[in-house]
Amino acid sequence: MSQATGTTASRKGLSRDDVKSLTDRVLSFAKADQTRIAVNSGVSEFTRTAMNRITTSGSTADDVVRITSAFGRRVASIETNRLDAASLEKAVRDAEALARLSPENPEYLPEPSGQTYLDVSGYYASTGNLTTEDRGRAASLVLERARAATTISAGYIDVSAGARAVANSTGLFAYHASTAVASTLTVRTADGSSSGWAGGEGADWTTIESERIATDALAKCEAWRGKSALDPGTYEAVLEPTAVGMLMSRMMGAFDARSADEGRSYFSKRGGGTLLGEKVFDERVTIKSDPAWANGETAPFTQAGEATGAETWVENGVLRSLAYSRFWAQRQKVASKPGMSNFIMQGTDTSLADLIGGVKRGVLITRFWYIRPLNPRMLALTGITRDGTFLIENGRISRPVTNFRFNESLADLLRNVEILGRPTRVCASENSSAGPPIIVPALKVRAFNLASLSDAI
Amino acid sequence: MRDDEPGVDRREFVKLAAGSALAVAAGLSSVEVEAQRNTAPGPDAVERDLALLALDAARSAGAVYADARIIRVLSEAIETRERQITNVTKSESYGIGVRAFVGGSWGFAATRDVTRDAVVRAAREAVAIAVASDRAAPGTTRLAPVKKVPDGRWITPHVIDPFSVPVESKADLLFRINEEALKVKGVGFVTSSASSLKESRLLATTDGSLIQQTFIRVSPNVNVTAVAPDNSDSQTRGSAVAPAGRGWEYVTGLELAARAARYANEAVAKLSAPPVEPGTWDLVLHPSHLWLTIHESIAHPSELDRALGYEANYAGTTFLAPPDQVLGKVRLGQSLMTFVANRTEEGGCATVGWDDEGVAATSYPIVDKGLFVSYQSATREMIDLVAPFSAYKDAPGHAYGQHWASIPFPRMPNVSLQPAARAISEDDLVAATDRGIFIEGDGSYSIDQQRYNFQFGGQTFWEIRNGKKTRMLRDVAYVARTPDFWNSMSMIGGRQTYELGGALSDAKGQPMQLNSVSHGCPAALFRNVRVIRTA
Repeated sequence: MSQATGTTASRKGLSRDDVKSLTDRVLSFAKADQTRIAVNSGVSEFTRTAMNRITTSGSTADDVVRITSAFGRRVASIETNRLDAASLEKAVRDAEALARLSPENPEYLPEPSGQTYLDVSGYYASTGNLTTEDRGRAASLVLERARAATTISAGYIDVSAGARAVANSTGLFAYHASTAVASTLTVRTADGSSSGWAGGEGADWTTIESERIATDALAKCEAWRGKSALDPGTYEAVLEPTAVGMLMSRMMGAFDARSADEGRSYFSKRGGGTLLGEKVFDERVTIKSDPAWANGETAPFTQAGEATGAETWVENGVLRSLAYSRFWAQRQKVASKPGMSNFIMQGTDTSLADLIGGVKRGVLITRFWYIRPLNPRMLALTGITRDGTFLIENGRISRPVTNFRFNESLADLLRNVEILGRPTRVCASENSSAGPPIIVPALKVRAFNLASLSDAI
Repeated sequence: MRDDEPGVDRREFVKLAAGSALAVAAGLSSVEVEAQRNTAPGPDAVERDLALLALDAARSAGAVYADARIIRVLSEAIETRERQITNVTKSESYGIGVRAFVGGSWGFAATRDVTRDAVVRAAREAVAIAVASDRAAPGTTRLAPVKKVPDGRWITPHVIDPFSVPVESKADLLFRINEEALKVKGVGFVTSSASSLKESRLLATTDGSLIQQTFIRVSPNVNVTAVAPDNSDSQTRGSAVAPAGRGWEYVTGLELAARAARYANEAVAKLSAPPVEPGTWDLVLHPSHLWLTIHESIAHPSELDRALGYEANYAGTTFLAPPDQVLGKVRLGQSLMTFVANRTEEGGCATVGWDDEGVAATSYPIVDKGLFVSYQSATREMIDLVAPFSAYKDAPGHAYGQHWASIPFPRMPNVSLQPAARAISEDDLVAATDRGIFIEGDGSYSIDQQRYNFQFGGQTFWEIRNGKKTRMLRDVAYVARTPDFWNSMSMIGGRQTYELGGALSDAKGQPMQLNSVSHGCPAALFRNVRVIRTA
């Protein structure tokens, strides 16, 4: 892994100094009781392939400022990407006029001040300096091999580089530069009878193994040829890290105290209150977040400028933390705590092969598609397996099988964990853009509900 | 409508789509709609010069084709919960996106900096990206010709510009909605929101087209949650109000306060409703529910880019492929089933004057009396690829990029199920059902990447016994294989049951872009569908 640096001069997006003068200028126009400025600045670049050719490639530069003005508890925001002085002054005036017109928000609290932020750099020059040619070369790696194997490839390389910042009228200022890249690849047989997928995600381009992604997607497509039906039912299952990540990313919002206190969450306690301090999952399950996690860094502050630090949410199966908004914390007389910025699930050194080796009769799942909530109180989801699903018998992959629709509660899943593999950062979004960092192991679970068959390939 | 009766024909559809019935419902006469189209604003002189400058720069740098779009999006979101405001935000996003075609490859560059120097830089960068891609992997794409539109102007037909309505009166309306819901005993929470969008879109192409359009869309929403007294359960009734390509008059015409009271009672009733008995049921599906099933299982699988493989790494492919083996051959439903793809339907979220390649909006059947006859979601570069087996001679006008920073690519038009010619009511459909479930509102939804296996929930579920709606049920979802499901549609409602549903956030593409789209449909009866219990 290369170091999270890069000289400031060569970085994409507004520099710390540029942002500071921008936010100072906005604050100089401000007449409201309280003013907050959030800045999102940077470049997005991509190369997309399909049908064994590059279909599109492009680059977009944008800098967006969000100005929030408050008079007492009357609050409103204006967002704009026009950053000349006249436009900014108009935006401040508009935000203030809109705030005066807005009904009071009784939950609005004065802007935070006196925050101390972790020193986190998430900007990797290896990613920030990638060119169209670099992306083209990486994307082209698979094209010849796919053609030679009479398969059809479709892939996507998504790159972003820039900065986020927050400033407010109490003098608070926070700035974080970051990069992110995701590379994903689908390989299908020319007759459409098999499909394989592989991918990777990181802040640092040098951790993206383009050769490995090409090889794995081709191999998965080859291995899934000749699939046959397996009866729906509840099976032992091995979920590869991407499959685990796609499910766990849906849990990030679940660790919320307010919805638990209000009786709308899995973490609500019957009769009132929350399940804090109680055993909710298998004791092998530990879930953390950490803005400084290498290659999975996040800004050490929220959109409102509150400091975020490392946090343990679940420790050995026991619920240790829930997020408290500043309003809810005041109401419940506890300290406020921002929600998860990344999702880190502890694992072991066990290899995927060893996880498979522990299965008598079960199913190996590469990844999922179209995951949607079924029941928030149960953390229940539905979705479809995709791009490589296999029957495991007596510790070995015995044959490729057709896809399934699953209906499964994440709470049940985390209670049914038997073995955890090695944690890795995965591309967990269905659209393959680099998202909030999700670092998870493969999981062997004793039961997974594969509810119906899907003919999809 | 019985199985053997023909669906509405194309001429009737065009009349329905552009005709007076829907426009009057929205407060506009057809004469007013026409007048508004004729007075749609033209391009700003400065923007026009900048767009043409970008095209010159792209051509000089070696582009064989280029287009430039200067787009300004104004959006506003007002959100409330119970008796308080939770968000008031107005946004403006402004920029230029230039797309260049070199050899057989595309390059795209976009910037918020809409000045002469920056626009030229963006155009040159788009060409450089196209050149680099073409070197890495030479492209063979060819673009079908399009008609030149030297002075195109279009505006969404509307009575009240949503941005002319003050924030306070919008908040007042939302608070009145919440108050109605909170009057109902057992209701714990209510959220409501109103979002509005107004977009100015200037397109200039090296084919000589210059088109200025203004799009207006509004999207109100209400969600009511009831919580059991002992905290052991909560049930929500929501997601029931469709967005529309209309003005603020659409929102005020919805009688949202009365709806909120009904939703509140339904949320409370859901807490004590018995769960469904899993098994095979007939289903009567209300348009507020059926639009989403159409979107997922008819509109998405009939996208041409999926059939060709463009979306294999994300949205997926389709069971309606390969084209030469399915077009005119696959029967998706009985003869009562006709679907029309259009970007012309009054109030439709995908309704426009021209697409992002300067092609005029069109309307044509994709499923004709049950038979799959055409794909939709095609752009200029696809016409050549499907020439041997397709009815397409020209691009149908389906290129769309979400905003200035998004590269245009094939997007779904409105796809609508045509109603029965006879005046069949919702009650007629219920009366024709011995044992069934009436479903309203869209709920949990999921479908596989080839659009075979789907599972849909809903908002409210009423048991039908012997031709009558009886008690409420809960935890209902139906699971089916797309062709089986649509072939089980045995009766559809008439025009009086026809409504538009839709979404402003249909995701597709990499980088992912959101599309706004509507689906019109009557209520409809489906026989023998597999129903599961979700809790």
